[in-house]
Amino acid sequence: MDFQFGKKEEEFRSEIREFVKEHIPQNEYGHMFEEEHEDKSWEFSMSIAKKLAQKRWLTLTWPKEFGGMGASFMERLVFSEEVGYWGIPGVGMGVSGTAWVGPSLMLFGTKEQQEKYIPLIAAGDPDGVWCTGYSEPDSGSDLASLQTSCVRDGDEYIINGQKVWTSAAHRSRWCWMAVRTDSNVKKKHHGLSLVIVDMKSEGLTVRPLKNYVGLHYFNEIFLSDVRIPVENLVGQENNGWNHLMQALSFERGVALGFTASCRRMLDELINHTKETGLIKKTLVRQRLAELEADLEGARTLAYEAVWKMENGLSRIYEPSRDKANVDLLFEKMSRFGSDILGAFSQLDPLHADPRWAKIGGIYENLFHACPGIAIAAGTTDTQRNIVGQFGLQLPRSY
Amino acid sequence: MDFSFTKDQELIRKSIKEFFEKECPKDKVRELKEDKKGYDPKMWKKMVKLGYTGLVIPEEYGGTEGEFWDILIFMEEMGRNIVPTPYFPTVVFCAMPILEFGTEAQKKKILPKIAEKGEIWAYAQIEESSEQDASGITMSAAMSGEDYTLNGSKLFVSYANVANQLLVVARTAEAENPEEGLTVFIVDAGAEGVVCDVIPTTARDMRCELRFDNVKVPRDNILGEPGKGWAVVDYIQQHAAVLKAAEMSGGAHAVLNITVKYAKERKQFDKPIGSFQAIQHRLVDMLTEVEELQYLVYKAAWRINSGSPSRRLNSIAKAKANGVYHRVCYHGIVMHGAIGWTEEMDIGLYHLRTRSMEFDAGNTDYHNDLIASELEKSEPEFLTLFA
Ligand SMILES: Cc1cc2nc3c(=O)[nH]c(=O)nc-3n(C[C@H](O)[C@H](O)[C@H](O)COP(=O)(O)OP(=O)(O)OC[C@H]3O[C@@H](n4cnc5c(N)ncnc54)[C@H](O)[C@@H]3O)c2cc1C
Repeated sequence: MDFQFGKKEEEFRSEIREFVKEHIPQNEYGHMFEEEHEDKSWEFSMSIAKKLAQKRWLTLTWPKEFGGMGASFMERLVFSEEVGYWGIPGVGMGVSGTAWVGPSLMLFGTKEQQEKYIPLIAAGDPDGVWCTGYSEPDSGSDLASLQTSCVRDGDEYIINGQKVWTSAAHRSRWCWMAVRTDSNVKKKHHGLSLVIVDMKSEGLTVRPLKNYVGLHYFNEIFLSDVRIPVENLVGQENNGWNHLMQALSFERGVALGFTASCRRMLDELINHTKETGLIKKTLVRQRLAELEADLEGARTLAYEAVWKMENGLSRIYEPSRDKANVDLLFEKMSRFGSDILGAFSQLDPLHADPRWAKIGGIYENLFHACPGIAIAAGTTDTQRNIVGQFGLQLPRSY
Repeated sequence: MDFSFTKDQELIRKSIKEFFEKECPKDKVRELKEDKKGYDPKMWKKMVKLGYTGLVIPEEYGGTEGEFWDILIFMEEMGRNIVPTPYFPTVVFCAMPILEFGTEAQKKKILPKIAEKGEIWAYAQIEESSEQDASGITMSAAMSGEDYTLNGSKLFVSYANVANQLLVVARTAEAENPEEGLTVFIVDAGAEGVVCDVIPTTARDMRCELRFDNVKVPRDNILGEPGKGWAVVDYIQQHAAVLKAAEMSGGAHAVLNITVKYAKERKQFDKPIGSFQAIQHRLVDMLTEVEELQYLVYKAAWRINSGSPSRRLNSIAKAKANGVYHRVCYHGIVMHGAIGWTEEMDIGLYHLRTRSMEFDAGNTDYHNDLIASELEKSEPEFLTLFA
């Protein structure tokens, strides 16, 4: 047993912190999901993405020949932590490109696709911004039931249907889309394909969806006779489900960045209670301690998952375990933190007034962000299903 | 970073596990529930012979000079098998602080008896108020000539009924700060004026009331410095917290495994109950909590083992263990249905131990407060980077 980072990782961490000192203002920390909301913050994010690209950090896990730095799992862990703690924006480049579009194209894309799309992502270019179109109005957790149709017509495919909850679609140049290329199948998992859709296509409309505090983060996409060239098929036709599973596996490990965000938010809360003297109150002490213990636990588990991956010991369920765990932690933190802030926790997070907001308004933001976190990338309960099946070998429940 | 044990450590675990499985099946645990002594002297002898009571004691005092990891692994396995023995009070509560604070003469005299002969010791701190901080210690020890005279009573002293020797914390001076003026005494359990009564408790770990009526203790029998006894108590609590948490972690693992196994076997509505989502999600939450606890314990132990203990991590380990052990037992029993609520099933044996273990070495409120004290002292990274 050894819980210490190596010298290489520590050096990398200091290097990132130098970058933070120079480029990332800390008074705007903790405004989750707001990156895509306003033009101003989006532009700032993209400017940081460019700088990260120059350091090869934007795509640090990618192999060097694709513009990455071939980072180890542990280096990636360190990077995710620093991103979470300091709130480094722009890392996702509209959520999808750096995390799974690039790696998927490397794995099962054509050479032409790799040459066309990958360098744009690695460079932090506005044309390298992607969104992901999986969910549909009638297909959420049950993703394989999706119905958006994609029919071959000569050298083109014609797409009809609707996508929903598409994060950053209003900022994206491309959509990484799951579609149905064959509806005449016995099992719903068959007949699916992955395609690349140009967001400027004719017949494609993006309609903003606002969340309940008024934040514009995700969208609906309507597709009416949208034509894409056949070259935009990724992988094999009708083998989309397998490709999707491969792509989803790159989404794993979100828990790490999240635990680091929690660390920052808890640090801010502790600091606030010290400045105000609240930390002398028994109830406040008990709550802070409980959060501290939960957070230390969640973080240690997330490390374990990375260590297992690095050593080829992963048993599939760990990232789901950690996602569910962090969902619960966020909820508890937002509740305890808000209770500690008292009346000020009811401020409108989208119209934060520095005159009133405590700790930069981060708890008001978290309070309403955390249900979204618990739903996005697979709900807490569907993660629990995965852990039950693969961590405890229980029979499938549905 | 390394989340695995060495080959040697795995071997140690294997032999301890096999020993407990052979020597202490659940029938034995049930049998000892009704036993007056609360442990099996034959098993105890074997444990001593295998060197278990000397795991952290240096060779020169008759021990095997292992690492902190060895005793941690030992406690995990003991917790997994819920072995009724006076091991914890003897080794963790007494031998460890004697090794840390004892004079050369004390160590030479006492430690070989524990390591080689299995002399039983008990630790007396708690009193009527049940408080675990220094304010809970009111029993007085007055100096009279070359001796001290102890008067008062101690409660819930585990295995005092069979102990030869006691560590007793008493107040030798009044001070504004309750942590000052405390002294730890080594007291012969058979000394005149010491009366011991067993208090019936659910864990059957022989919690005793000890009454001291003008008990004379020679000055040489002070552990550590007179008036500075809190340092010893704190040392005991910090280390015992992690080792008790290890014991609870082992127990929680066992309960999880028992319940998962049952959920796969028991059928209702023609299906294993483990196929119902309500059961699955409870089990999954148990798994997460149990794995989390396990690594929190290891993290605290790693700091102790490498010579830089973390008060924050020690308290986190124990505070977590307190919550997790109970929750796992409660949900485990409920998921069994009525059979889980009977004495026939092993799972209840675990739940019967939760209150004892929760209290030992600090309950949740106590450790949460210690965690908060550490947070008060800490400097957040976001302030230091831009300072
Ligand atoms: C902030 C945010 C960003 C998102 N971004 C994207 C994006 O960029 N692209 C994209 O494609 N999608 C995106 N989504 C959609 C997200 O993937 C889905 O919301 C999610 O998969 C759940 O689907 P649903 O909303 O249809 O809920 P449903 O699937 O209808 O679920 C409703 C409830 O039923 C429960 N449930 C469903 N099935 C089961 C089961 N088998 N067992 C137990 N409980 C079950 C769920 O846990 C949930 O509580 C985003 C969502 C959010 C909140």
